[in-house]
Amino acid sequence: MMLSPVPRRWRICKPAASMAIVVLVSCGGGGGDSVVSLSAATPIDCATNCAQDVLTAPDVERVVAQAVAAAQARGQTATIAVTDRVGNVLAVYAMAGTAPSFRIDGRRGVSGGLEQVNVLPSALAAISKALTGAYLSSAGNAFSSRTASQIVQENFNPLEANQPSGPLSGVQFSQLACSDIVRRDSDASLGPKRSPLGLSADPGGLPLYKNGRVVGGVGVMADGVYGLDLNIADVVADADEILAVAGSAGFDAPLHIRANRITVDGRSLRYVDTSDAGVSIASLTGLPGALVPVAGYFAGVLRAGVAFGLAGSGIRRDTGAFADLGAYVLVDAFDNNLFPPTAGTDGGLSAAEVQQTLRSALEVANRTRAQIRQPGGQAAQVTISVVDSNGVVLGVVRTPDAPVFGTDVALQKARSAAFLSHPGAAAELQALPPANYLVPAATSAIGPYVTALRGFLGDGTALANGTAYSTRAIGNLARPFFPDGVAATGNGPLSKPYAQWSPFSTGLQLDLAYDAIAAAAGGSLATGCTGLNKLKNGLQIFAGGVPVYRTVGGVPQLVGAIGVSGDGVDQDDMVAALGLRDAGLALGTGIGHAPAALRVDTLSLAGGQLRYVQCPQAPFNNSSAQNVCAGL
Amino acid sequence: MCGPVKARSIALLPLLLANMAWGEVALAQASVVDEADESIELRRPQTEPLKYPLPEIDPRQVPAPSRFDPRTSIAVPDRWRIMEGLGQKDRWWDPYNTNTIKGDKPYQPLAHWGPDWFLNLGVVSDTLVEARRIPIPVGAQSSQKPGANGIFGGTTQTAVVQTVLLSASLIKGNTTFKPPDYEFKFAGAFNVNHTRVHEVRALNINPQRGTTRTDSHFGVQEAFADVHLRNVSVQYDFDSLRVGIQPFISDFRGFVFNDSAFGVRLFGTRDNNQWQYNLAWLRRLEKDTNSGLNDIFRRWRSDDTFAANAYRQDWPVLGHTTQATVLYNINREGSQKNYYDRNGFLVRPAVVGDVRPHNYDVAYFGLSGDGHFGVWNLTTSAYLALGSTSYDAIAQRSQRIQAGFAAAELSRDFDWLRVRATGLLASADKNPFDGRSTGFDAIFENPQIAGADTSFWIRQAIPLVGGGGVALSGRNGVLASLRSSKDQGQSNFVNPGLMLLGVGADADITPHWRLIGNVSWLSFVNTRVLSYLRNQGSISRQLGTDISLALQYRPFMTQNLVLNASVAWLEPGTGYRQLFAARKRPYSVLANLLLTF
Repeated sequence: MMLSPVPRRWRICKPAASMAIVVLVSCGGGGGDSVVSLSAATPIDCATNCAQDVLTAPDVERVVAQAVAAAQARGQTATIAVTDRVGNVLAVYAMAGTAPSFRIDGRRGVSGGLEQVNVLPSALAAISKALTGAYLSSAGNAFSSRTASQIVQENFNPLEANQPSGPLSGVQFSQLACSDIVRRDSDASLGPKRSPLGLSADPGGLPLYKNGRVVGGVGVMADGVYGLDLNIADVVADADEILAVAGSAGFDAPLHIRANRITVDGRSLRYVDTSDAGVSIASLTGLPGALVPVAGYFAGVLRAGVAFGLAGSGIRRDTGAFADLGAYVLVDAFDNNLFPPTAGTDGGLSAAEVQQTLRSALEVANRTRAQIRQPGGQAAQVTISVVDSNGVVLGVVRTPDAPVFGTDVALQKARSAAFLSHPGAAAELQALPPANYLVPAATSAIGPYVTALRGFLGDGTALANGTAYSTRAIGNLARPFFPDGVAATGNGPLSKPYAQWSPFSTGLQLDLAYDAIAAAAGGSLATGCTGLNKLKNGLQIFAGGVPVYRTVGGVPQLVGAIGVSGDGVDQDDMVAALGLRDAGLALGTGIGHAPAALRVDTLSLAGGQLRYVQCPQAPFNNSSAQNVCAGL
Repeated sequence: MCGPVKARSIALLPLLLANMAWGEVALAQASVVDEADESIELRRPQTEPLKYPLPEIDPRQVPAPSRFDPRTSIAVPDRWRIMEGLGQKDRWWDPYNTNTIKGDKPYQPLAHWGPDWFLNLGVVSDTLVEARRIPIPVGAQSSQKPGANGIFGGTTQTAVVQTVLLSASLIKGNTTFKPPDYEFKFAGAFNVNHTRVHEVRALNINPQRGTTRTDSHFGVQEAFADVHLRNVSVQYDFDSLRVGIQPFISDFRGFVFNDSAFGVRLFGTRDNNQWQYNLAWLRRLEKDTNSGLNDIFRRWRSDDTFAANAYRQDWPVLGHTTQATVLYNINREGSQKNYYDRNGFLVRPAVVGDVRPHNYDVAYFGLSGDGHFGVWNLTTSAYLALGSTSYDAIAQRSQRIQAGFAAAELSRDFDWLRVRATGLLASADKNPFDGRSTGFDAIFENPQIAGADTSFWIRQAIPLVGGGGVALSGRNGVLASLRSSKDQGQSNFVNPGLMLLGVGADADITPHWRLIGNVSWLSFVNTRVLSYLRNQGSISRQLGTDISLALQYRPFMTQNLVLNASVAWLEPGTGYRQLFAARKRPYSVLANLLLTF
């Protein structure tokens, strides 16, 4: 919150200590709105209070009961799920008579991919939506599944002609049940947990808050359709969303951090299209329906959530190499860091180099101006992953309040950059079996994507010649239009043509993971989404990942990649790109970016170059530095 | 429109003011000089005619012609032809001397319509070469060059623009002594523009269109019929009605409305021209995006302005005109579907906030003055804008509009030098989320102040958010009103406001050369909305210092051939640096050749 500017002639230089968390940027000659208060922001690090902000069993019951009562009042039936912040499913409640299954529908008449699949149980949709609300949100931003809908479509904003696609296009296929970094129900309370359908774009998934902190999410499936909001200009109540809003009463997100108070390039995001508060009811007793077990997700007994930020949640403050930077790490059941810095399995990176890369990226993140956090002027909150060229995780760290979805996505980005930059990528992709679509039964082969990319780039050796791919560039190639968003053009080579494209059928990204997603929905607990060891949790197609090289004697060698996720995509990109650069400078061991000539943005294409990295405007807090990634 | 008029009156000043310098020398001459002084000061539009003291009769002078001298009393058809008898040639290609097709004499082919039909043909060629450095975002999807890793790309642009304005008016009336009875006018402008930038997607939404753009347009800038309804006094005070596409200026400097729109306007004078009034309904026309000219082939804007104003000459003092005005602007474009400009960018609604459409109603109450108090020239304008908007895309609710604006320019002439001090204040929105929008915005500004189109800040549009779809300020606009486009966007009252304090000077170095310099210190009033849109914690109000130098060359000491050149740059302030990459200072350089027939 910005205080009203003090008339300059009356402004007195007070000792900063007398003004709580007030930063005096300048006093005296500076002028302008130089007094900024961050006191309205909930501290990003729960520190000693972590244990307080948790969904208790009565809280969970109340959320479910409120949603059920609202449904009853409206003559509807619904399946309702509640999770905690790390995705533990705390309740799944099926009202009597509610539809057992739902249909996936992007509402553009597209078939193929997950479009029109109608055999999955409604509980999977409700869980995915609850997880979406919990995973995308933080103490600085409250995002709903409607927010997700806005940022995964072919244009951003949706229907704004010829604008580039949603900045998080592809994020819907993260947290997949087949991922190797998300946890299973068998991991007890440890998160982050997997999501049966990835992240949801269907309105009706909301975060739940206590004391300004995310404690979980609620998801509702009532209307039988798992879709998205194509027209964000109108305000159309969604049955699922009305019930989710009713359920969240008392646990609502603070108004000033909701998506509609967050801007991306000046555009506000959407939170909900309803303000229906519903009824306050604390008990499920006497309400129609029952808690239902969901194999692999929920045992059928309503339970309390875990306190985020403590070891029981699987995410806690680091006490090791990154403690001085305020970082958090993922831990196992014995409270050991799951991903401490380790050397690459390919002999490329040493543990010290991985540690320095993570440290440098954290240092950049701690200075970076967040794009999606209110009030403005906070540090970006992200998760950072480093992998080797085989896609093996070499280290994961996060800042305290990074949205949980970034755990999986940062790793997806790192692996995607490393994999497609690997000269073996083409052969590995071409050897894969096709995806087997369920509705209608059909196959979608993987090899043709390689062929299409090679034709598109005019290079028969693409994906086999060592060109360095960032995930931003991969995204450029994986959109239903190339250049991104421009309707008069054809599709990117890694995407379906627009007539067959939807956020539920994205092309190579989904086809790689399709069979594993379907198997997991059928009960499989197997890890590995793509049949490729280098891409165990699936391909990701938006910015924030760059490959890491060691250049010795002018000869570059791919040794891994870094992936960042959690804030605006430009922030993610910058933390990865500057983190890697800074680490290289600190180490002096040849570690760094791909030589400029090796990068995919050097290829000349009609309509301009691909983008390798894009760093944000006004990148750092308390600094007027600009264009800090020039000459990277 | 008012540029040439202003320039001409100022050009006379050095010659006339030369007298003043000698005034102190001899007391004996004081009264004569004073009188001369007074007549100089009276040589302003809308003041009393010059008063020259009658010369002494010099006995050596050639005697005055006798009334019955046959040589000087040859009958001519009308007084327009007197000069012909003296050998004055009427050359169709000479706009400066007597010329029938410039409306100096009745146009004989129309004589069968009746007496006193004049034809006035005009041709203006405006050639502009401009180079500028403004922040340009790198194309979001693809860049012009590899290794473009930032938001801000290659910043320099060049533009070459050629406009030819053809106008024809037919005027009936004995125009020397009374207002014309009828006027029919048409003015069309052909424009060809070529722009070259260093980033794709700056010129067209589609990055495949590359980094150059050549566009052309024919715009109808004036097309009206003017009927003299009646005279109301022996001094030819009148009421007149003008219908059609016509220019209209809200005040002396065009702060709120300065456009050529379709209108129906009743206007006239009273009390021996001491009072002037306008009652008008104006509907804005769609503009062509790249030329800024009217695009009559598109649906008219759903934007109406009702204007009522009155000018009082010589009030409160002789030589000062005071104007009171009320403008009521009704915009219903929120009820229309999204509108994209010619380059493919969404301009209505503006890409800001939740981008949901809105209508608005705003009443502007204005008081303006122009003239002089003794040797001090003063131009002032103050406006209060009150109204409501059906929806604000940031606050995501309806808002009441309560905004204010004030500007003043004080100047004084010293011989060949005029020095100026300028102040301007446009209110800011303090809280983008409440139920009030308190940032001032105009309907269609085209302000003639602080160097106007020779200054960087006023001339250049600076992209802010929405991939450049929303600008910090519009082209040829002084307000930081965050519109999608000054020409095609809706007004926006949630903005950071603007404060301008400036000094300047016009130096008439010779009758051919004039040098104009301006230094303006610019500041936002409240940056909260900028902080919000950019999600930056704190943005300084300091916008920067705008410095401009303009040189005007008139080889024939007329307006028929004018060469302008100007250099302007912004010394970026902290606020500007926080918003944009400004390691290289932004500038605007132009050369402009105006040929007028």
